[in-house]
Amino acid sequence: MRNRRRTTLTALAFASPWFLGFCIFMVYPLVASIYFSFCDYSVLRPAIWIGAGNYIHLIHDNIFWTALINTAVYTAIALPVGLIVALGLAMLLNMKVKGMAFYRTLFFIPSLVPLVALAVLMQFIFNGQYGILNVILRDLFPFVHSQSFPPNWLGDPAFSKLVLVFISAWGAGNAMVIYLAGLQDVPVQLYEAADLDGAGFWAKTRNVTLPMISPVILFNLVMGIIGTLQVFTVPYVISPTGSPERSIYFYAMYLYDNAFIYHQMGYACAMGWILFVIIMILTLLSFRLSERHVHYGS
Amino acid sequence: MTTSVNAKRRPKGRLTGPRNPFLVHLVLIAVSVVMVFPLFWLVSTALKGNAQAMKVPPVWIPHPMLFSNFPRAFTYESKQLGYIPFLVYGRNTLIIATLVVSGTVVSNSLVAYAFARLNWPGRNVLFAATLATMMIPFPVLMVPTFILFQRLHWIGTFRPLWVPAWFGSAFNIFLLRQFFMTIPQELSEAARIDGCNEWTIFREVIIPLAKPALAVVALFTFMGVWNDFLGPLIYLTNQNTFTLSLGLQNYSSQNGGTEFGLLMAASTIVIAPIIVLFFFTQKLFIQGIAVTGLKG
Amino acid sequence: MQLRRLWTPLFIAFIVATIAYSENVVRPHPHDNRIHIVYWEKWTGFEGDAIKQVVNYYNTHQNKIHVDLLTISGIENKTLLAVAGGDPPDLAGLYGPNVTQYADDKAVLPLTPFLKKYGINRSQYIPAFWDEGTVNGQQYALPTTPASTALFYNRAMFKAAGMDPDKPRDWHNGNYTIEEMDKDAEKLTKRSPNGQLLVAGFLPSEPGWWNWGWGYFFGGRLWDGKNRITATDPGNIAAYRWIEHFTKEYGTTNLSSFKSGLGQFSSPQNGFMSGKVAMEIQGVWMYHYINMYAPQMCGKDPQFGVAPFPFPASRPDLKGSTFSDEDVITIPRGAKHPDAAFQFIRFLESPKGMDMLCGLQWKMSPLIKNEPGFYRNNKNLLAKFFAEQAMGKNTIPPPKMSIWPQYQNSLSNAYDEVSLLTKTPTQALEEVQREMQPQLLQWRQQEALRAKAEANH
Repeated sequence: MRNRRRTTLTALAFASPWFLGFCIFMVYPLVASIYFSFCDYSVLRPAIWIGAGNYIHLIHDNIFWTALINTAVYTAIALPVGLIVALGLAMLLNMKVKGMAFYRTLFFIPSLVPLVALAVLMQFIFNGQYGILNVILRDLFPFVHSQSFPPNWLGDPAFSKLVLVFISAWGAGNAMVIYLAGLQDVPVQLYEAADLDGAGFWAKTRNVTLPMISPVILFNLVMGIIGTLQVFTVPYVISPTGSPERSIYFYAMYLYDNAFIYHQMGYACAMGWILFVIIMILTLLSFRLSERHVHYGS
Repeated sequence: MTTSVNAKRRPKGRLTGPRNPFLVHLVLIAVSVVMVFPLFWLVSTALKGNAQAMKVPPVWIPHPMLFSNFPRAFTYESKQLGYIPFLVYGRNTLIIATLVVSGTVVSNSLVAYAFARLNWPGRNVLFAATLATMMIPFPVLMVPTFILFQRLHWIGTFRPLWVPAWFGSAFNIFLLRQFFMTIPQELSEAARIDGCNEWTIFREVIIPLAKPALAVVALFTFMGVWNDFLGPLIYLTNQNTFTLSLGLQNYSSQNGGTEFGLLMAASTIVIAPIIVLFFFTQKLFIQGIAVTGLKG
Repeated sequence: MQLRRLWTPLFIAFIVATIAYSENVVRPHPHDNRIHIVYWEKWTGFEGDAIKQVVNYYNTHQNKIHVDLLTISGIENKTLLAVAGGDPPDLAGLYGPNVTQYADDKAVLPLTPFLKKYGINRSQYIPAFWDEGTVNGQQYALPTTPASTALFYNRAMFKAAGMDPDKPRDWHNGNYTIEEMDKDAEKLTKRSPNGQLLVAGFLPSEPGWWNWGWGYFFGGRLWDGKNRITATDPGNIAAYRWIEHFTKEYGTTNLSSFKSGLGQFSSPQNGFMSGKVAMEIQGVWMYHYINMYAPQMCGKDPQFGVAPFPFPASRPDLKGSTFSDEDVITIPRGAKHPDAAFQFIRFLESPKGMDMLCGLQWKMSPLIKNEPGFYRNNKNLLAKFFAEQAMGKNTIPPPKMSIWPQYQNSLSNAYDEVSLLTKTPTQALEEVQREMQPQLLQWRQQEALRAKAEANH
């Protein structure tokens, strides 16, 4: 009995940084954030309780809805694209051919580029006039004589979000590495058994690979939801106001503007909580939907 | 010792050798081109002046090659500021990275040890709660955390950027816990019979075995710090405390007079060390993630 | 074993040393007997060199105060964060349009007591430049370098099109109208055989810094100064129709690809300097930039000219409309040495200080009385012209409202929508009205609540 108490004390001592951190950097800000979301607060002047005022304003705030819808549309495209690209790349890197270390580095390099540099570089590549991408497109399709081809990517509200999707897929290295680790963990016997059954590449992928790495897919999906809904740095560097026509004005940008440009901290906190609820619902949803499909190994 | 750890694991698998390695190489090379092209363009632009950078049609291989962009980017605005900002940003980034990486490794390995190797009431509930915190988006915490640091008078110092790292974070605790669980309990039991206390077991048995996982955590963290933009944007106020990723923004000046060559040269200098680092550690990196086995 | 024992203390010592070093980086300690005041400025390049020279002059010509000048990018946000964080600089060089928001948020100190003490008052300044720092009767900021705007036109292109090269200046004795300018713009516009735009006669989005303000040139107002947003004012709608007609004339896709091909302002690829835009609105600083990036346009027979921006034929009372804007100097709340900080402001705002700073930046001075020969010696031959512009009756200052950042973003979005033809001017401005009117009222309510709470405090 004494021994157990001692172990518990030791364990608490080991875990104590986290308890402290949890209270200071999680519980306190969360509680404060709930409180401020019901206040008018500009940091330099006292916080004033205004009840649900901020939430009511949000419902009537056009820009809030624009930012929310932009974020939803972006997530709906970027999330699946990112997951598929990362998985595809990982499967390529899992092939048994020579020189893999080299390819791995090449594939991972994009996610090492600082987002600020990445944003500027991509603006350059996607420039409608002197951007290298459009020059290549014009050379590849010299017979297309449409005024709207090639598109003026970031200057056209219809395409600007797609450019961001491409940028995020291009930097999908982190998810890719995690998939790759998952793929390497698949027991080789399963493939041998499948080979004996005469299964081809697609059959093996469908019946062995995907079920075996389904927990990793779920993990990347949840991380992807959390990350994508918070997209900030790249669009912010490209255009802090989300121009053209607010087409790349996202939720986290409006939140940042409210907090640090418009000095409406209470309003920003309310926005934060709405985002939290959305992420919570989507995460729980993906866990619920995955129950039938995710296969936790033996 | 390492072998005894791995011996317990399932044999690792790959898709068995492809029927047509040539085709695979072709695909790999094609994808590599897409992946590396923007980087090639980065370096190519870094060697151009503004007129060349904006030429229609674009110049593939710069002529003349303005290697002078690199020293110019390096000493950009140094005359006016009285110091070489690039060195100062680099130093600041390294200071923060040192403190954050060591804090992350120390605190998370301690906490993960408690969750993975010790039996205590409430452990599983707390672990679930820890995982749940991963779902809290940064923007929710951004404002109150800012206010917290403001009350502490920490705005404008490095402290808001590194102190939290010493208190653990859910993702890293999770990663390390998964790894610690794979280390055979018998090793700990044997040490306990020898009269070692938990601290000694942690230091002498677990940590030496956990090096690959710790390296992964350290690398992920280092890259995170190197690229972090929002944190420094909010908390750092003086230009002489800026980090590299924040400093890069200075190359596009207030009037929109960006010198693209300089900006790209500066970006190249920022990216280069981290690419080299990855190249030399990529095997360890992927192995580390593989052995931590993200399957819960 | 011995060595391994050393690891932990070594590691701890290393961390402690790093922490100590990091603290020292953040707050270096000066070692002299002067009061050190920290001054944040936004300027870079030659403008930054100018203020540095002024500060050096001040530091070497007295021995009580030492000004530590720091260049800060994004100063309009960073200063607020620093004030909120309790560690602001003693002086902050903000932009004029920030003053109202900063004053309302109590982020800057009122300068009025200092100004009274030292006899600095409105009569010494060009009124528009003094007034931009006034909020609710108190002075919160003084101008550092001022600016006004006018029409820059390419004389060579006018000549090539068979027109009087100085038509914008001379037409009907300086009564150039917007309608006439539009006709000339058409003549100056050049297209490739397949319809691509090569040269734009006039482009309202170049340089794009005042997209919010075109309404004023047509007699519009953005608000009534109290509780009403007037985005849908007929003048504003007329202005947005005018903007729309350029897109219709040039073609949406043509225009958008033409615009993305224009270089940035501060580069030789600048639309005006590279001869892709024949006329545009620009400010006093343009002269210096042309000298820097397109010296071939200067010289004995300069290729460019400048004239007051034209006015609608139906509104001769709007003749000489000009944006008046400025960079300002303020003392943030929580500054450690406000008195010493004001001593530097006193020097800077003296004819000596102003002439030095504005002269080095190739701009006019906000003061009415300058040192003898200031304009004669000014390297900017247009400085006097722009000073006179600012003294006219149709100056357009940025609106003094706390929600101006929001309002400006909303207007710039409307500008996008109209110039991409996705909305009609009326639709776009009605949207702005719907977005901003509640914001203004909400802000009024907040302000009342905050004042009440502070009174109770």
